Amino acid sequence: MAVSEQPLANAVLVIDDEPQIRRVVRNALQPMVSRVLEAATAREGMDLAAAEQPALVVLDLGLPDLGGMEVCRDLRGFTAAPIIVLSARHGEREKAALLDAGADDYMTKPFGTLELQARVRAQLRRYAAATPASSRVVAGDVEIDLTRRVVTRAGAEVHLTPTEWGLLRAFVSHPGQVLTHNQLFRKVWGGSAGDAQQYLRVYVGQLRRKLESDPIRPRLIRTEPGVGYRFEPGD
Amino acid sequence: MSAIDSSRVTERAASPRPTWRSWAIWLGALALVTALMHATRAALGEAHVALVFLLVVLGGSAGAGRRVGIALALLAFLAFNWYFLPPYGALVVANPLDWLVLFTFLVTGIVAAELLDRQRRATRIAEQRADEIARLAKVRDEAEALRRADALKDALLAAVSHDLRTPLTTIKGIAHEIVGGANAERAEIIETEADRLSLLVDDLLEMSQLDAGALPIEIAINTADDLIGAALQRTQGILRGRPVEIDLPEDELLAGRFDFSHALRVLANLMENAAKYSPDSSPIVLGAAVSDGTLSFVVEDSGPGIPEEERDRVFEPFRRGSQVPRGVRGAGLGLSIARRLAEVQGGSLRYEPRGGGGSRFVFSVPAAEARPPE
Repeated sequence: MAVSEQPLANAVLVIDDEPQIRRVVRNALQPMVSRVLEAATAREGMDLAAAEQPALVVLDLGLPDLGGMEVCRDLRGFTAAPIIVLSARHGEREKAALLDAGADDYMTKPFGTLELQARVRAQLRRYAAATPASSRVVAGDVEIDLTRRVVTRAGAEVHLTPTEWGLLRAFVSHPGQVLTHNQLFRKVWGGSAGDAQQYLRVYVGQLRRKLESDPIRPRLIRTEPGVGYRFEPGD
Repeated sequence: MSAIDSSRVTERAASPRPTWRSWAIWLGALALVTALMHATRAALGEAHVALVFLLVVLGGSAGAGRRVGIALALLAFLAFNWYFLPPYGALVVANPLDWLVLFTFLVTGIVAAELLDRQRRATRIAEQRADEIARLAKVRDEAEALRRADALKDALLAAVSHDLRTPLTTIKGIAHEIVGGANAERAEIIETEADRLSLLVDDLLEMSQLDAGALPIEIAINTADDLIGAALQRTQGILRGRPVEIDLPEDELLAGRFDFSHALRVLANLMENAAKYSPDSSPIVLGAAVSDGTLSFVVEDSGPGIPEEERDRVFEPFRRGSQVPRGVRGAGLGLSIARRLAEVQGGSLRYEPRGGGGSRFVFSVPAAEARPPE
């Protein structure tokens, strides 16, 4: 794929102690951005991130000097740039924990170049858009107006329960972003733990059955298995 | 490891039943000393007689146990009275002080027999405990060795998996870089094979985690819609446009209590299995239904099915059926992993022949209320 378009970002940072992985990531991202910065340790990476303010960070979890969770939290202390985590371990729980700690996306080794490019592109676009999510979303035949609290599908109004509204509001406010189950719990039910919480996935199922034309192959509310959901309003 | 069972040990340590031979020996000994002392009665005082009898009682207790000891004490008491306390030849005592001698003798004999016996029992228990401890220590050492070997195997597998994934990423990355060049086809093969290797690594790691009981499980209320949708998405590449018929109630949301990631793996493995063993264009049926508090997911194919004699074994690891079509590859771990993943989350996975030919796999989990409080 020839990518001679405008670079998507000025600089991105790769933090990985394996030179071969840095090489693969660098070669994959070079066509998309102006500069690929490289660091082999967490400390070095943190210094570079602070000095160069990259538009995105690709972070390996198995760094020799600091755990991935800590690096995520520390980076979040001074930058809002998207963080894509690379890990050799695979586990949805770990992924959810990393997203809760501030990472934006997660890839399990061995990942493909195209997949990496697609994820980086999506994160950079989302970050560049950076405008507050619109309160009115049109996706296919579904129109959502958060201010007026009205949802229509193919022109007909859809009745939503208060919980379904809470969920939809959380999704619409974070387009394209993975929201973990924990993050959704907090956004919809606040801090309070209750019976309703355990039905989060059932509420999502109900919402899908009301909004999606095919709830088994949802286009708006995508499932991130074992992690959470992602709202895709479409381009 | 069980603690020492003290009641069992005590029981085994109780006095052994004296044999007729030890009865004969000690009763004979009593008769002999009685006869000897009787012959020399004139020269003996009461204290001498008592001490000699006591010796026999103690000997009997020590050698043949409590029963013999007490019997000897009683008989010696009678013999003492009959032969050695005036008036001789009668169970009568002339001097009241002799009663004191007689009863002191009896009590001393019995108490000594009891004490000896208790001591012997304590010794035996101690010995048995020592044996038991030695045996348990051996069992523990063996268990510890097994555990270490197992932990080593798991650590090794985890490390191997981890260390394999990093170079696999590099291999895939470089293969991708040369896909555009003259060796495009070969580069693609490299990428595909790297993916295959990676899947095998995943399978082996999962097996070792299942074996070690180290697989994290997170049971939550999930919907059938969500799981079936995720399974379709995950198997998209394997199904390559093959028709999938979805069999779900249209007006009802089904829910169950299960671990989403593991259940997804089960369903994806079943779909992959169905795709492998049935003709390319034949549809796969994927459905779910609730009955009797159970949410069952069903995957059906129109393949050859599994012969009856192989049905029990299809869930064993590294087992591949005789009906495997040519060109189908795999380690034979898919169904084995699927069944174990079903079981670790409180569900089950079974095979049924499909009416009209083909296979039908049923994966069941506990159902949950799908109409939550608002």
